[in-house]
Amino acid sequence: MLGSLLAAPIVETWLFYLFATMAIVLAVGVLVDRVVIRSGFILIGVFGSIAALFLLLSAQFLALAQVMIYAVAITLVIVIALMLTNPRMEDDTIVEKAERMAGPAQFFLSVKQGFPLWVSVIIFSTIYVALTGEKRWPVSTEPVAQDVVKVLGEQLTTTYAIPFEFASVLLLAALMGAIMLAKNEKKEVEPTSSEDQKAEENLALSR
Amino acid sequence: MNAPNQLVLKREKEGAAKLAVFFVALSAALVGTYAGIGVDKVLTHHYDFWFCVILGGLGWAFRSVGGNKPVIVAATLLSCFIMLTFYQAPLLRYLILAALLFAMGVYGMCRQRNAVRVLMSIELMLNAVNINLIAFSKYVDPGQLKGQLFAIFILTVAAAEAAVGLAIVLSLYRNTSTVDMDRFNLLKW
Repeated sequence: MLGSLLAAPIVETWLFYLFATMAIVLAVGVLVDRVVIRSGFILIGVFGSIAALFLLLSAQFLALAQVMIYAVAITLVIVIALMLTNPRMEDDTIVEKAERMAGPAQFFLSVKQGFPLWVSVIIFSTIYVALTGEKRWPVSTEPVAQDVVKVLGEQLTTTYAIPFEFASVLLLAALMGAIMLAKNEKKEVEPTSSEDQKAEENLALSR
Repeated sequence: MNAPNQLVLKREKEGAAKLAVFFVALSAALVGTYAGIGVDKVLTHHYDFWFCVILGGLGWAFRSVGGNKPVIVAATLLSCFIMLTFYQAPLLRYLILAALLFAMGVYGMCRQRNAVRVLMSIELMLNAVNINLIAFSKYVDPGQLKGQLFAIFILTVAAAEAAVGLAIVLSLYRNTSTVDMDRFNLLKW
C-alpha cells in the first residue's frame, strides 16, 4: 500500500521537492559554515537526504549503502581528521589590495576573486542548457525490477565479475596505503630529549 | 604625496597583465562553450533561465547589502531550482538537481582553503554523480539497473579516495603543521 502511494506522481513530486530542498539547503550550509566541524556534521544531513532520494528512485540497496558508507563511515573519517588537524584558519579569504588600481582594473579584480563562483555558474548553466535542449532521453515506461538486490547480485557475479574483483583489490591497496601514510614513523629518541619530544608531540596534537 | 617606487609599479603592471590574461581566457571559455549550443537558441527558448539569471542578480544585490548571507544564498538557489524544474519531466528534475549539487561542489573545491573542506566538496560532487546514475537506471534502464551497478563502483572508489586523501592530509599536517591549501606549494616551479 505504501508502495502504491509512493508511486503516485503527485506524492513522488512532493517528496522529491522536500528532499531536494533539504539537500540544497544543507549543502549551502556545508559550504558556508565557518566552523569546519559543524559543516562536517551538516554533511551527514546532505548524505541522508540524498539517500532518501535514492529510495524515491527505488534503489533500496544503494540507499542503505549510502547511509552506511557516506553518512557514517566517510563523515566519521572526516570528523576524526578534523580533530587531528587544526581546523581554525586565521583568515578565510585572501583579500588583495584593490585601492591602488584604476576603476576597470578593480572591476576585473572583483571578477577574478569571484572566479570559483563563475566556474560553478558556467558549469551549471552549460549542463542545464545541454540537458533541456535535447529531447533524446529514451525514457522507458516499464516498471523497475522488483528484486533489485537479486538483479544487482547476478550482474556483479556474472557480467561485471572482473570490475568487482578489481574493486576489492583497489580497496585493499587503498587500505594499506592509508595505513602507511597515516602511520607515525618511529624515531630513535635519545633518552635525554625524549621528554621534550613527548611534550612537543602533545603540543602538536592539542594545537 | 610620495612618488611610488619602482617595485610597486612593477608589481602593479604584472598584476594588470595577469588580470588581462585571465579575462581573455574566461571570455574564450564562455564563447567556446556556448558557440556549440547556439546562442540564439538559448536566448529564445529559455525564458525561465533568463528569469533565474535576474533572480541570481537580485540575490547577489541582497547579499552585498548585508543580512543573513547563507539564508539569502540558499533561498536564491532554491527558488531558481524550483523554477527551472517545475515543468520538466521527472528524469530531468533529478539531473538538474545533480547538476546543481555538482556545481556547488566545484565551487567549494575551488574556494575553500582547508584541505579537509576540499575533500568534503569532492564527496558532494561524487554524490551528485551517483544521483545522475541512479536516475538513469530508473527512467532509462529499469530492467537491468546498470546505473546502480556503476553507482556501487563509485561508492567503492569514493571510500578508497576518502581514506587515502585524509591520510595524506594527516601526514601533510604532521610535516608542515598546516592544512592550508595555499601553503602546499612543494611542487611549485
